[in-house]
Order: sequence, then structure tokens, then C-alpha cells
Amino acid sequence: MAKVQVLNVAVLDNPSPFGNPFQFEITFECMEDLPEDLEWKIIYVGSAESEEYDQVLDSVLVGPVPAGRHMFVFQADAPNTGLIPESDAVGVTVVLITCTYRGQEFIRIGYYVNNEYTEPELRENPPIKPDYTQLQRNILASNPRVTRFHINWEGSAERMEDCENVDPTSNSKVPPSCLPGKAPPLGILPDNSMDCL
Amino acid sequence: MKLLKPSWVSHNGKPIFSVDIHPDGTKFATGGQGEDSGKVMIWNMAPVLREDDEKNENIPKMLCQMDNHLACVNCVRWSNNGLYLASGGDDKLVMVWKRAAFIGPSTVFGSSSKLANVEQWRCVTILRNHTGDVMDVAWSPHDVWLASCSVDNTIVIWNARKFPEMVTWLRGHTGLVKGLTWDPVGKYIASQADDHSLRVWRTVDWQMEANITKPFSECGGTTHVLRLSWSPDGQYLVSAHAMNNSGPTAQIVERDGWKTNMDFVGHRKAVTVVKFNPKIFKKKQKNGSAPKPGCPYCCCAVGSKDRSLSVWLTSLKRPLVVIHDLFDKSIMDISWTLTGLGMLVCSMDGTVAYLDFSLDELGDPLNEEEKNSIHQNIYGKSLAITSTEAQLSTTIIENPEMLKYQQERQNSAQANLGPGSAGPESSAPKLNSVMNGESLEDIRKNLLKKQVETRTADGRRRITPLCIAQLDTGDFSPALFNSAPILPSGSSMSNQLTPQLSSDSSPGQASSLGLRPSHDPMLTSPPPNSTAKGLEDNKDGLKTSLLLTSASKIEPMKALDSRFTERSKATPGVTAAISSIAGLTPLDRPKDSISALKDIKTKDDTSSDSEDKMASINKNLSFSKRKPETLMDGGEVVEKRKKGRPRKDKMAAPIAQPFTQIIPPAEREPSRVAAPPAPPAALKLPTPSIKKAFSLQVSMEPAVFLEVENEVSLVAGSKLSQLRCSRDGRDWNTLLPSSVVTAAGSSDVVAVACQDRMLSVFSSCGRRLLPAIQLPTPVSALHCTAHFVMALTAGATLSVWDVQKQKALVKNESLLTILSGADTTVSQSLLTQQGVPVIGLSNGKSYCFSSSLETWTLIADKGDSLVQCADFRSCLPTQDALVSPGPLAVMQGRNLNAGRLASRLSSTPHHLQQSMTMAFLENQLASALTLQSAQEYRYWLLIYARFLVNEGSEYRLRELCKELLGPVHKSAATAWEPTTLGLRKRELLREVLPVIVENLRFQRLFTEYQDQLELLRNK
Repeated sequence: MAKVQVLNVAVLDNPSPFGNPFQFEITFECMEDLPEDLEWKIIYVGSAESEEYDQVLDSVLVGPVPAGRHMFVFQADAPNTGLIPESDAVGVTVVLITCTYRGQEFIRIGYYVNNEYTEPELRENPPIKPDYTQLQRNILASNPRVTRFHINWEGSAERMEDCENVDPTSNSKVPPSCLPGKAPPLGILPDNSMDCL
Repeated sequence: MKLLKPSWVSHNGKPIFSVDIHPDGTKFATGGQGEDSGKVMIWNMAPVLREDDEKNENIPKMLCQMDNHLACVNCVRWSNNGLYLASGGDDKLVMVWKRAAFIGPSTVFGSSSKLANVEQWRCVTILRNHTGDVMDVAWSPHDVWLASCSVDNTIVIWNARKFPEMVTWLRGHTGLVKGLTWDPVGKYIASQADDHSLRVWRTVDWQMEANITKPFSECGGTTHVLRLSWSPDGQYLVSAHAMNNSGPTAQIVERDGWKTNMDFVGHRKAVTVVKFNPKIFKKKQKNGSAPKPGCPYCCCAVGSKDRSLSVWLTSLKRPLVVIHDLFDKSIMDISWTLTGLGMLVCSMDGTVAYLDFSLDELGDPLNEEEKNSIHQNIYGKSLAITSTEAQLSTTIIENPEMLKYQQERQNSAQANLGPGSAGPESSAPKLNSVMNGESLEDIRKNLLKKQVETRTADGRRRITPLCIAQLDTGDFSPALFNSAPILPSGSSMSNQLTPQLSSDSSPGQASSLGLRPSHDPMLTSPPPNSTAKGLEDNKDGLKTSLLLTSASKIEPMKALDSRFTERSKATPGVTAAISSIAGLTPLDRPKDSISALKDIKTKDDTSSDSEDKMASINKNLSFSKRKPETLMDGGEVVEKRKKGRPRKDKMAAPIAQPFTQIIPPAEREPSRVAAPPAPPAALKLPTPSIKKAFSLQVSMEPAVFLEVENEVSLVAGSKLSQLRCSRDGRDWNTLLPSSVVTAAGSSDVVAVACQDRMLSVFSSCGRRLLPAIQLPTPVSALHCTAHFVMALTAGATLSVWDVQKQKALVKNESLLTILSGADTTVSQSLLTQQGVPVIGLSNGKSYCFSSSLETWTLIADKGDSLVQCADFRSCLPTQDALVSPGPLAVMQGRNLNAGRLASRLSSTPHHLQQSMTMAFLENQLASALTLQSAQEYRYWLLIYARFLVNEGSEYRLRELCKELLGPVHKSAATAWEPTTLGLRKRELLREVLPVIVENLRFQRLFTEYQDQLELLRNK
């Protein structure tokens, strides 16, 4: 049984200009006092095509964690634009929040992020070189995708490899709305795609 | 009879092993298999009972789901008071759940809104002792005990008032124990196992009352569960799977003599579950017909592996109704509503069925008064005991003294509860009240600025999270879950579905069980199954299409989706790498984040009074408060933030205190400070170096200071040293012919050791008490306590003198015996008030020299696993939890903290831990005795006694009492000492007796010794 349960993640300052720092207000509950710190990370996926463009925006230790319910705000700088492929700057990507304990990742929270120009003109005719100052970042806060992993909470000796996938789409209660393949390819999403959520 | 299969009650098609209806009839729990764990779900009863509620989207169906069990859940049971839910599963655990009163509706984070948890049930205790799958759990009448049985062949009785305390375990079964039931009268508990036996156990002494094997001799161990049941009048016990003439039956066992003459016959396969209706019925009075004095009868439901269900009335020879093909697989559990008219049945096929009976079918249920009068007639007492000490109902208090103690305890317990616990109702959640947690909103607004952030040694950010609720207290309510993000309003994306449950969250009432006849899916028996299924299919189809339309709006991307589930391989090192790529060295980061903070600050226009409010809130939280100005100052922000926890663990603090506050007196001695860490030879103890001058305080009350100045003057070629002593402002001084190496003193004596191996002892006024003592080797450590002087020499010998009596207590005793091993050296030495020398060694062991035994005795060992594992916290006295800081506590120091680790060693079986704790406590007692530390002896004696009482070790307890009481009649031959360490033993016994009262089992013992004490007092 996982000793730490993430109860809520509130996405603060959203939507916001692309250059604003990410802010997540994370609420979690801990069953018993943790002798070691939790390590939280924010990972920005620069390109859907390759993990190569993933950026760890920041990692932070959180502790001490006594038994109880806790919250903190995890703030991390906006991604380094130099590391994002130009073709992937505008459109939908993903930001991940992960938490590890004793070096083992036990939860991964993913959000879709839509980066788009606010100016209608730019929307119509986006510049070839992305203008990050005009981009707005919109995190799809209402639809977090949570994956939990079983880990060994007592010690780091052995990593448990079985993975408990509680991604809501894998629960049969929810129809398979997110079947791969149904999705339009990257880049040609309708402009209002995020709004209808 | 009407029948309904609510298709929405499901574990996604996985088997449902257990079902239980809440005593108030508004909800029910199911337990079974989850995705890859065990699952407990709590459901709303109203949509089962009323079709309107089922259709109403605003009325939640699922109230809560808990995936905490690691493996399949075999049993869920509500406590009789409805406050707790117990669940047992294949993970060998029993979990006890309680509703978290302070949290409003929330989703399981990351799930779709369909799966919103309307109620929050939190695991408050995990009971670990079973070494195999837990098959059944059962709350005793009045919730005094919780019993659990397991495939490890045992039954464990837990103290439901003091989880996770164990009362006892019942051993005797030689096969997997698969069912439990309590006698409604509270006198017995019965269990059925795969070993072809049904056993009845007494609750008075937890011994076996009866072992019934005959009806089960032909049984094969083929059923998953064997849930037996006791009739509400207590007269009959009905077993699960039994055999009669090669046919499966449910055996009826009569309370009177445990006779097995009757059975329920007719099922084609083994009976898995029997459940008595909680009501006793009497014949329905027909209109017009004269009232007949009909005999009351009971009603019983029987579920079987043959997938059929039968309902029997004890007044009829044939079943009231038999329902075939209700399920596709074996029936696993049955639960009646408290009204006696409704029943839920669950099956291995993952479905549940609800049966609704009418009064015409079952009869008129007796009201509580009538039921009580039946009990009164049979057992001579009513069961309607609402007293807090319900376990007393089974035992008669034989002694007025005992009664007095019990009443006192009750009173004090009630006083302790105080006004905060005005009853279960007050703690019941009010959904609306938690939604207006304005203050928390304020905290959220400022959390980023207020949260404590530090840097670790390697430059990484470390955030101390804000503790918003402790686990067991519901005082500070976070109301934020599932609420919209607060910072920017008007976001097109933040229009989350805020649950509109708060207004509708008090649905099904138990009283309104009356079902309308127009309820479609309620079908009369036998049910045309296909129609029912068709209807449900239609519904499902409709829902699915609805969901599809809403879900199709989500625009997923194939390439991105995999990222959600893949575990990252990134290690902490990656962070630094990335941040340097980003053109920021880790050191630049703080400044950057500060500028970011500034941005936020300028955005937030918080008014000044809300700032003040924040401040007061923060004070309450004992959270380090930081004014916004310091933020604007920039620069040093990160360093200014305080370290440490926002809130101390209140549970840990008082226990930890006594150990942390004690500073071993030896550490105040200069000899200790000056001692070099490693001695050159094994038996050569370090000696303090000679200093020109030094001073020390040897006593606090009265304040005595010693000042030593070596080589003050040269007289006739010899160097003289001066010893000056100041006591309460009065000084004396004396001269010594050699340099003073070390000095020590107490309120009574002052001792100095000189370079020439001479030891001089002076009175508190400076009078020389003894001629100089010649030591064999230079002094290593010197201690004075009261009128005792102790000298530890470099040659590893120890001497202790009683200056008052001018007598040696310990004479040049060698430390050779205890200084075994190459690197062992003396790390600490001290002399107790009673003149007992204590030596602490570098290997963690501490010895004292017992002058009466003339030997070294081990009093503490830091490496002792007994110390680590002993768990006596439940036995600690409540009021004065502090250990008196005696020599034992000093030598054991932190060591005792280790005992607290015991709770973490949860895997240790209880009986092992019990033995370890017992051994540890006996060690403590013996050590305190040897150290002649009276207060500590008394302290540990009471803990030991309480432990014996809790664990029920009558044999030891009796011996202890006997020793304390001594012989009642004086005789010359007796060697019994009336006192120990200056404490009168009979006074100690007088203190122990109230402890004994706490376990009613020992009331005879209590009476015995109480009487003898009285007798002695009157003499």
C-alpha cells in the first residue's frame, strides 16, 4: 500500500504566458512519518516524437514528511525554448509531475499542455520561428492522467517492477475515448480543441 | 418478495466476495477483487431502494472506493455502531476504516468525475498478526472486540476499543478457518474451518467450549468461505457447509448442549453462507381473525455454491422461498438490513442482488422491547446494554471494591473525553460546512510565499510541506479538493464539474424502505432474468454513449500518451545537467525564483487585513512567518527561511522528551571532556591531562563550585597547588603538594586526585575527611555523589568508598571482565546516589558493579534486539509518562527510543513481540533493582504489571503479587524483606492492584490480594 497518496494537484497561474513559471499546488497525504524526503520533478516534454527533448524543469526535495496531509506549491521555470524543436513549439504537448521515494518513482501525473498564440493574426499565420513572447500556455488541468507504480517503501534494496496503472482510460468504467490512432496527428489540432474541454 | 440486481454495483466484473449493509441502512459496502489489488467499495443504498433515486444523476451511487488492500478482500463488516468498517483480505491484513469527517466530496485524483468519492473513508488501523489470508471478520455485540479468522488456522480477537491491541488468539483449528459468528448474547464466538469442525469458544476465558465435528466429517474443503451465523435469540447456531447422508446441508446447532439434530437440506452443492435476519418475527395478525399467541420465530437465508439462495423461517418445515439461477457463480455473502425486510446477496460472478420482503411474507418483527424480554426470559438479562463497558455484561463483578475501581475508571474516562467528543453525531461530516473554508483559501493564495524552502548541502531545493491536517484529528479542514484553481479566474479550462452532491448527499433513509410497486427492475420471484438484464443493458448502452460524446472532446495524441505511463529513468543528476544547459547554474536559481516571486507578489493585491489574518493563522499553525517585505528585500531569502517541521508530531514529543532532556552527568565532568578517544592499550584507560587551572561546578543545589590552580607557589622546592571551593557564596581553600589532575564533588564531599596518585577527600566545608589515599595507578575518572567517592584508575580498576562510614564499597575491582574485545573502552562512568558505580562502554553496553553480588551486571545494551523490539507503549502510565531520570534512564539514554521502533517492525508476530517485551521489561526491573534506583524500579514495576495484565499472564502476575505481599503470618523462618530499595512492597502492591482491575479476568486475583492487604492492615 502506497504510503503517499496524491490527493490533488491544482494548476495555478493557468493559462499564462509561455515564459511564466509553472506552478502546481500539490496536496498529498502520508500514512506514516517518512524517514526520507520525497523528490518531485516537473518534466516538460519538448517534442512528442522523442524523449530526447524532455526537459526536467526542476526537481525539489520535500520533507520532512510526518504522517498527515500536506500541501506545497511546486514552482519551476518555463522550459528553455532553445531546447524545443521549432516545429513543436506550438500545439499540444505534455508536462509531467513525478514523485520518487528512495529513488523509485511511484506516481506520475501528466497534463496535456496547449501552446497557442493569443493574437488571431498569429494564429492564422504563425511565424516560422516561434515567437515565444506571444505564446500562451494552457494546461488541461481538468484531465490529469495519473499513473501509479508499486514501489518498495521500506528500503531501496529491491525495486518492484509491477506497475499499477490507474490511468482512468484503462478503467473499464470509462469508455476507451483515448484510443491511439483516433487522435489527429500532432500539429493539426483544431484551434479550439482545448476550449471544448 | 421483490428482487433487483443493480448492475451498477460492480467491481468492474471482478468477483465480489463480501457485502454488508450499514446499520443505518443508507449505504452498504462490498469487498472483492480490484484491478490488481483488493477493493472495498461503499455504495449508496437509496438508488437500490428507489428507482427515482437510481435515475437521478445527482444522487451518487458509489460513495467511496478504497484500493488499499494489496490483495483480494474476502470480508467487509460494519461495526454495530456504524462508525467503522473492517475489511480482511488475502494480504493477511485487517483494515479498519473510519469516515474522515472533515473532508467534503472529492474525486480520486486522476480518475474521471464518474468515480468521485462522495464520502471519504480512511484506514485508521491496520491489524497485522495473521500469517495467511484473512477470510472473515466479525464485530462482537457492542463492538467490544473484533474477531478475524484466517487460513493460518487461527482466530485473532482484537480489542476494538484500543486498536491495534490484541486480546487473544484462539488456536485449535487444524484447517483454514473460513467463518466466524458472535453469539448475540456475547458469551460465545463460533468458528467453522476446513478441518471438518465447528468450534465454539467462550468469551470469558477464551477457551474452547465445544468442538462439533460429526456433521462435517464428510465435507471436503471446497468452499471459499464458510460463513456461519447465530440466530438473534441466541438459541441456534447454523453452520455453513455440512453433510447429511452425502447431501449438503446447513447444520443447526442448538445452544442447549450443542446438539446437532436438525439441518437445512435441499441445496445441491455446499452451503457457503448462512445469515440470520436480525429480527425475531411473530405471526402476522390477519384482519378479523382472533390474535393467536403464536410462538416467535427467526428467519434465515442460506446461500450456496449451487448459485441458489433459500430463505427459511424457523416456524416452517420448508423454505419460505428458493431462488435458483440468481447468479452465474457461487453466492459469497449475504447481508440483511436492520429492519429485517431487505437483503443483499453477492456472488463470485461480480454481481449483487437485492431482495425485498414484505411483512406479510416474513411476519411482524418484534420490537426491541419484545426482543429484550425474550432475552430476559432465556438468559435472565437484557441485551440492550448501552453502557460503555459492555464487556462487563458477560462477567459479573463479584467484589464491591472492584466495582468501585471500575466506576472510577469509567468516570475518569468520560472526563477525559471532554466536551470535544459529544457523541458520534457531532463528528459526523457536514458537507456544507467544509466548503466555506475561507481561511484555507487565504493560505492557498499565499502558500508559495509562505512555504519554507531551504537548500540542502548539495544545493538542491528542499520544501517543507505545509501540514494541513494530521491524520487522526479533523480539526482543520481542507476544503479545496476538486475545487477550481484559484489564481486566474475566467479561464476557459477551469470550468470543472464541481460536484453538486452537497445538496443531495443525504439520500436513502432507512425508514423509508417502502418500495413502490411500479419499480420496474423489481421483479417477483422467480425473476425473468433475461428481461432484467436487457433493461440494464439498455441503461448501460445509454450511459456509454453519453460518455463517449463527452470523452471524444478530449484530444489525445498517440505519441504523448505513452509518456503518461512510462516510468522515468531520470536520476537526480539529470536536473543539474539540464539546468546548466538552460544557462543557469544551480546557484543562480534562487535569484531567479525570487524575481519570479516578485512577479507573483505584484500580481497579488492582498489587502493588509487579510495579511494580518494570514499571520494569525500561521501562528496557529506554528509555521515560520515571514513578512512580505523580506521577500522584496531579495538576496538572502532562501537562507532566512527557517528549517524544521511545521508542526511537531504530538504523539512522539512527550515520549521522546525524557530521553533527549537527560544529559548524562558524566558529560559535565572535565575528565570526560578531556579524555582522549582511543586508549593505547586495552587495559590502559585514558587519564586527564594536567592543566594549569580549571574550575567546575559540582553541585547545583546547593551551588558548589571548585576552582583548581596548579603550581601556585613554590615553597622549599616543591610546587603547591591550590583548591578553592565556593559553596553558597562561602569560600574555603586548601593547598595540595602535587598538581591536581582532576576533581569532583557533591553536596557532601569534594575529592581531588593529584599527579602523585594521591586521592584526597574533603568535607563540604573543606575539612579533610580521610588521609590521602594512594591509588595504584593514575586516576582516569573521579566521581562524587552524596557521600560516595568513586575512582576509576588508568589501570582499569574501580574503587568506591563510603566516606561517611569510612568503608570501601568496591575494592580495586578490575574492569578486565567487562573490557573484553580489542577496541572496547570506557565511554562513560557514573556513580548513583546509592553509591552504585556504573560503567558505560564504547560497545554500547553498560555495567554496574553490584557490591552485594560482588560481580559486574549488565544493565543496558544498545545492541540488544529486545530493546529494539519491545513494545510496551500501551502500558505506559497515562498521566506521568515521563521516566524519572534515574541512572538506568541515563545509561540507556536514546536507547529506549529504539523501543518505539517496535511499531515499525510490524511484521513481527504478536506472540514473539509479546515475549520480547516481557523479557525486556523484566530486564529493566532487574537492572533498576541492581542500580538501587527506587523510582525507576517503581516505574518499571507498574509498567510490567500493566503489561502482564494486558497480556493476561496470570502466572507471572500472581508470582509478582505474592512476592510483594509476602507472608501474611509472621514466622521467624521467613526471609521475606518488607521493603525493596526503601519502598514498602505492600505499598507497591497497593499501587499494582488498581492496574489489575483493568482486566476483569483477574478479578479473583484482585479480590484475593485486596482481602489479604486489608487483613494485614487491620493487624
